[in-house]
Amino acid sequence: MDHQDEEKKPKAENALRRNFLRAVGVGAACAGAWVSKTLPAKSLADETPIPDIPGYDWRKHKWAFGVDATRCIGCLRCVEACKAENGVARDAHHFRTWVERYVYLQGDDQAHVDSQSEPGNIAASGSEQAFRFDNRYQNAPVEKAFFVPKLCNHCTHPACVQVCPTGATYQTKDGVVLIDHSYCIGCQYCVQACPYGAREFNHAMGVTDKCTWCYHRITKGLQPACVEVCPVEARVFGDRNDPESPISRFIKNNRVSVLKPYTGNAPNVFYVGIDKEVS
Amino acid sequence: MIGTLAKAAPYVGYVYPNETDIPWSVLIVIYPYITGLVAGAFIVSSLYHVFGMSQFKPVARFALLTAVSFMFFVPMPLLFHLGNPQRAFNAVLTPHWTSAMSAFSYVAGFYVCLLLLEIWFAFRADIVALAKTKAGLAGRIYRLLSLGSDDVSSRALAIDHRFATALAIIGIPSAGGLHGYVGFLFGSVKAREWWSSDLMPIIFLLSAIVSGIGLLVVLYVAYSKARKVPADESVLMGLAKTLWAFLLVVLLIEGLELLEMFYKRLEGIDAVQRLIEGPIRYGMLLQWGCSVGVLVLLSVLILAKVRGRLLVVGMTVAGIAMMIGVLAMRWNVVIGGQELSKTTKGLLTYYPEILGHEGLLAVAIIFLCPFVVLWLITRFLSPWEPEAGKEVSS
Amino acid sequence: MPKHIVRLMLLVAVAAAAALGAKAYFTDKSYYRYGHYRGDSVAEIAGDTPRFRGNAYCKSCHQKQYAAWEGSPHNNPAAGKHVVCEVCHGPVGPHPSTVATPSFDERIALGSRAAVLTDKGAPSGQSSLPRDKTLCIQCHEAMPGRPSAQRQVALAAHSGTAECSTCHDPHEPKIYFSNLQAPPKGNVQAGKTLAAQCAACHGPAGHSVNPEWPNLAGQHAGYLLKSLQAFKAGTRANEMMSGMAAGLSDSDMENLAAYFSGESCKKSAGDPALAALGKARSNTCALCHGAAGVGGNPSWPNLAGQNASYLTASLKSFRSGSRSHPVMTSVAKTLSDDDIDRLAVFYASANCK
Repeated sequence: MDHQDEEKKPKAENALRRNFLRAVGVGAACAGAWVSKTLPAKSLADETPIPDIPGYDWRKHKWAFGVDATRCIGCLRCVEACKAENGVARDAHHFRTWVERYVYLQGDDQAHVDSQSEPGNIAASGSEQAFRFDNRYQNAPVEKAFFVPKLCNHCTHPACVQVCPTGATYQTKDGVVLIDHSYCIGCQYCVQACPYGAREFNHAMGVTDKCTWCYHRITKGLQPACVEVCPVEARVFGDRNDPESPISRFIKNNRVSVLKPYTGNAPNVFYVGIDKEVS
Repeated sequence: MIGTLAKAAPYVGYVYPNETDIPWSVLIVIYPYITGLVAGAFIVSSLYHVFGMSQFKPVARFALLTAVSFMFFVPMPLLFHLGNPQRAFNAVLTPHWTSAMSAFSYVAGFYVCLLLLEIWFAFRADIVALAKTKAGLAGRIYRLLSLGSDDVSSRALAIDHRFATALAIIGIPSAGGLHGYVGFLFGSVKAREWWSSDLMPIIFLLSAIVSGIGLLVVLYVAYSKARKVPADESVLMGLAKTLWAFLLVVLLIEGLELLEMFYKRLEGIDAVQRLIEGPIRYGMLLQWGCSVGVLVLLSVLILAKVRGRLLVVGMTVAGIAMMIGVLAMRWNVVIGGQELSKTTKGLLTYYPEILGHEGLLAVAIIFLCPFVVLWLITRFLSPWEPEAGKEVSS
Repeated sequence: MPKHIVRLMLLVAVAAAAALGAKAYFTDKSYYRYGHYRGDSVAEIAGDTPRFRGNAYCKSCHQKQYAAWEGSPHNNPAAGKHVVCEVCHGPVGPHPSTVATPSFDERIALGSRAAVLTDKGAPSGQSSLPRDKTLCIQCHEAMPGRPSAQRQVALAAHSGTAECSTCHDPHEPKIYFSNLQAPPKGNVQAGKTLAAQCAACHGPAGHSVNPEWPNLAGQHAGYLLKSLQAFKAGTRANEMMSGMAAGLSDSDMENLAAYFSGESCKKSAGDPALAALGKARSNTCALCHGAAGVGGNPSWPNLAGQNASYLTASLKSFRSGSRSHPVMTSVAKTLSDDDIDRLAVFYASANCK
C-alpha cells in the first residue's frame, strides 16, 4: 500500500513526507535511547513488550502436549499431582485433569466409561480426597480396555476465550490458554462453551479454573506437574519450536489425533491410541 | 469444606467429571424469562405507538411501565449467579466483543435508557400537570422529572410525539435484539447439543413475545379488577389475536426444529431423545401442553367471538398458561441443555436448591420484585386514561 | 427546540461523558498491552511457586535412598519408567523448611493471588495416600485396561492382606534381603559339637526323630538363624525351643545354622495322589518358596523334604494366629484343612535337592 501511494505522489510532497518520517524516526530513536537507559536492558531486543517473566521469552516457544493412551496405567498420580500443585478443590467433581477408563466387554458395541466422579471409584478411594479406579472389571469378560487422560486442550481457536465477556481468559503468545483469576467475574459461560468439560468452577474464589499446563512451571524450564509424575511416559510435553523436544518427536513418530475436531477448536493436546468412542 | 460442592448432580451413563457441578442454575432460567416478558410487553406498546393499532391504546402506556419494571430486574439473576458480582463492571470496562455476553450490559443499558425516555415522553404532560398540583416530596420529584419545563403547548407535544415514535421504532429492533441476543447466547454454544441451533434466537424472541403478552393480559385483568373497571374487550380481543398469531409461529418453528433434529439423526440424537424422555419430560409436557392448549383456547375465543366475563376468564387462563408454558420452555432449554452431557453418553439431573443465593426462594423473590415496582410506579404515574375510567364508572 | 428537549439532551450528554471517563479511569493500565486481557496477569500466573521440585532436589539430602532407587526397575528410562520420588512421596513443597505455609483462610485474608491456589494439596513431602500398599497397588494391582507391559499382581493370590513392603523395598522393589543379616558365616565344626544338644529331637545331622518336629538338614542358614533368634527373643513361642535358644549366644546360633544348612536333606514318601492335589494348590506358595519347595531366598524356609506333620501343624498355627507372620498369616487363612494336608504331603515328598 505504502509503495503504491508513494509512486503516485508528486516528488516534492514525497520529499516532504520523507523528511517528516526521518524526523519521526530520529525522535523515536532518541526516545528509544532514553527508554533504554531508564528501563531494564531486556526490552531493547524488540520494541514489542513481553511479560516480565525472569529468563523467559514467550515469543520463542510454542507449547503442546501429547497423551499416549497405550501407556497409561490409570494410576491417577497425575490427577493427585495436579490437585496438589495447583490447589484444585480436593473432591471428585472439580478437575484440571482427570483420567477416563474405557472398557468393552465381549459382545458389547459401546464402551463402559467411568472416571473419578463415578460413585464406585469414590468408594474405592475411601473418600473424595484421594483418587483411584476400583477393580470392577477384574472378573468380567473384558474384550478391550484402556485409560485416557484428559486435560485442557489449549485450543488454537478456543471457544472458551471467544465467549469470555471480560477478557479474563485469553491465549498467550506461546499457545497457552490462561485465566486471570483476579479479573474473572464468574459467569461460567466459558464452562458452557468448552466442548471437553475441561473447565471447572472454584466455588471458594468464585472464578473459573482450568489447566494452565502449569504455566508457572514451564516458564521456569520445568515440566507440568502431571508430566513430572507420570511414571510411564503416558504424558508428553514440550516446545514445538524445538524439533527434538519430546512433543515434536511424539507428533513426528506417531499417528496422532485430537478430540472432537469437528468443533473447530483445533486442540493442542495430541492423542495416540484412542478409540472411536473417546471424545 | 471450602471449594467443595454441597451436592453434585447425579447422573447416568458417562459425563465429564466437571459437568457434575452444573454451571447455570435456576437463576439463569428466570433471567431469559424476565427478559422475554420485557420484550413482549414492549411489543404490545409498539403495536399502538408505531403501528397505530388503536385497540391497544388503553394498555400502551401500561405496557411500557410493565416493560421497564421487569427490565430493572433483568440483571438481578445474573448478579446473583456471578461468582464475583462486584467485578460485574469488568464486562463493561473491557467488553470482549467476540462474546455475546459482553454485549449484555450495553444492550440492556441502552434498552433501559430507551424505555425510560419513551416513558418520559409518553408521560411528560402528566408529569408537568402533577408537578404543578402536587406539593411536598412527591411534587419536588415531579418537578425534577419535568426538567423545569412546563411547556405542554401543542407544538411541544407534537415534538414529544415525534421523539416517542422515533424511540419506539428504535425500540422494536432493540427489544428484538435484546432477546434475540439471549437466544444467540445459547444457540451459539457449539459444545451443547441441545442449545447449538441456528433457530434458537428466533425461538427465544417469539416465545418471549408470547410470554410478555400473557403477562400483560394477566396484569391488565388484575388491574381492572383492582380499579373496579371492566376490562376493555377490544383490548383483550386484540391481545388474543396477537397472541394467537405469535404463538402459532412459535409452535411451528419449535416443531420444525425438533422435526429436523430427529429427521437428520446426527450423532448424539439418541442422547437428545433420552433427555426429552428423561430429565425434562415434565418440562416438555408443560411447555407443549400449555402452548397447544392456549392456541386451542384462543382459537375458540376468537372464532366464537366470545365476549364479556367469559372472555376475561378465558384470556386470564390463556395468559397464565402462556407464562407457565414459556417458563417451562426456558427451563427445558437452560437446564435441559446442561443435563445432556457434552459426552453425549450421559444425562445429569439438576435439583435446584431451595434456600441459598441460587435457590428457588431467591428466584421467587427476584421474580416478585418487578410486580412490586410496577405497583409503585403506577401509583406514581397512572398509565390509565382518566376520562375512560370516569366514563365507565358514571 | 423546546427547553425540555435541550435539557434532556444535555443530561444524556453529561451521562455519556461521565461513563466514558469512568471507563478510561477504571480500566487496568496493563489491559490491551498484549491483547484483550490484563497484561500483568501473565507474569502473575507465571510467578507461582512450583510444589513439585524434582529428583535432583531430593537427591541432595536423601542420597542413600536415591542410590537404591537409581538402579532399580522404578528408574528405567529406556523402558519409559520414571517412578520419580514425588510420584509416591507427593510434592516436596517447602520441605524441609519448618516455616509453616499460610493456611487457605490466611491467604484469603492476605488477598494475594496465591489465595486462588488453595492449600488443599497434601502437606509437602507426603502423598495424600497412606504410605502402605494402597500406594503400590495404585499402579500394580492387576486391572483390565492396564497395558500388559505394566507389572501387575492379582492381590488376593499374590500376598493376601500383607503389606508390599514386607517383601519389597519401594526404592528397589525387586525382592530384597536387606532386612536380614548376610547369610551367617558360622563355624561348621563348632556347630557340629553344639548340635549334640539338638540331636535328641532333631536327630543326628538334623533328620528329625519325630515327624512332629522339623528336619533341619539342608535348611537355609538364614532361616535357621532367624528362627533361633526369634525363639530366644520370644517372638516365636515354643516350650522346648525357647528354653534351648535361651542358652545360646549369637555365635552359637550362627555356628548351628551353618552346620545344619550344610547337611544333606532327604525326602520322605507320601501318597502321590494327595501330593498331586497339593501341587495343584501350591501356586501361591511357589511365589516365595519356589515351585518345588526349594526357594532361592535364604530368609524363607525350604519346604521340600520337610516332615508333613510339621508342615501341617505350622500352617494351622499360622491360620489360627498362634504363630504369626505378615505374609503367612494371611496366606494360611485362604487354606482349608484338606488344602493343608495335601500341601504338606506334596512338599514332604518333593525332592529337596
